[in-house]
Amino acid sequence: MAQTEATAHESDENIYRRIGQLTRTLHDALRELGYERELMDARDNLPGARDRLAYIARVTGEAAEKVLNAVDRARTVQQELTEQADSLRNRWQAVAAYAAGGRACTPAGKQLVDETCEFFSGVGGQADRTNTILTDIMMAQDFHDLTGQVIRRVVALATSLEEQLVKLLIETSRPEQRPQLDPYQLEGPVVAPNARDDVVADQKGVDDLLASLGF
Amino acid sequence: MTAEPRFLIVDDFSTMRRIVRNLLKEIGFGNAEEAEDGVVALSMLKAGKFDFIVSDINMPNMNGFELLKIVRSDDALKLIPFLMVTAEAKKEDIVQAAQCGASGYIVKPFTKATLEEKVQKIMTKQG
Repeated sequence: MAQTEATAHESDENIYRRIGQLTRTLHDALRELGYERELMDARDNLPGARDRLAYIARVTGEAAEKVLNAVDRARTVQQELTEQADSLRNRWQAVAAYAAGGRACTPAGKQLVDETCEFFSGVGGQADRTNTILTDIMMAQDFHDLTGQVIRRVVALATSLEEQLVKLLIETSRPEQRPQLDPYQLEGPVVAPNARDDVVADQKGVDDLLASLGF
Repeated sequence: MTAEPRFLIVDDFSTMRRIVRNLLKEIGFGNAEEAEDGVVALSMLKAGKFDFIVSDINMPNMNGFELLKIVRSDDALKLIPFLMVTAEAKKEDIVQAAQCGASGYIVKPFTKATLEEKVQKIMTKQG
């Protein structure tokens, strides 16, 4: 048993030694080929790329908030308009009832009253349609969440890449410790669901999957 | 469940919290509060009574799965309906959510109709 462990340890040592040699060879080759400078430039540019992505996330977030604020304001105006129209319609309907009795109203006046009542009656329906449009505008702002998650992952990737480049540039000795496996990571929005079979493409996919499992 | 159910919306993106809050209001649930991650949500859940949780999964500090597991293992919280609203579309995540006790799962981007249908379905089941 102890011998097996010793053999495995020796094997690990060999692997690390070979990885170290490969890293050293790669490092030397890159330097001799003149790529070391380019790698350093790439490493130096990554923080700038991260900042630009962070800027995009911030500006798109602010834009989404502005749109949501505007939707809220428009909804308030729409609500006030509906309430005022309801109030005026009630008052005009009282006038219409009075006119229907043939009192103090010309035919043209009666027609005006009827058309005005009809207009006010239609305001509610128009307000509902506008509210539906405002909901669509509001829902479209979910792009900030979805793109934000993708940007966050790209930033993490850039950070990792930068670290790897730094290591590639400055490390020539073999790793001191066995590399740790990355823990399971949540993936965020799937940008190309049709190319994969381990994800669902839409809500129907979620419902079908859960139903197939009895949930 | 009280006459006016109190919702807790958990998402690290303020835009999405606001969208969900507005949608809930549109479908008749105007009593909602927000938390930016699982840690804040848990603190709010322990501080006050909530009737419904709508939570993202991918969040810093404490993600939706961790929050769900804690909620389901807490005697005072375990019966609260827990609806996942997330961009995570991996089948593995959907199954995990169901196995951990999620009451429903909505994948982003979603529609008002989907949210309304899932909330109503969960509420009906809850009684």
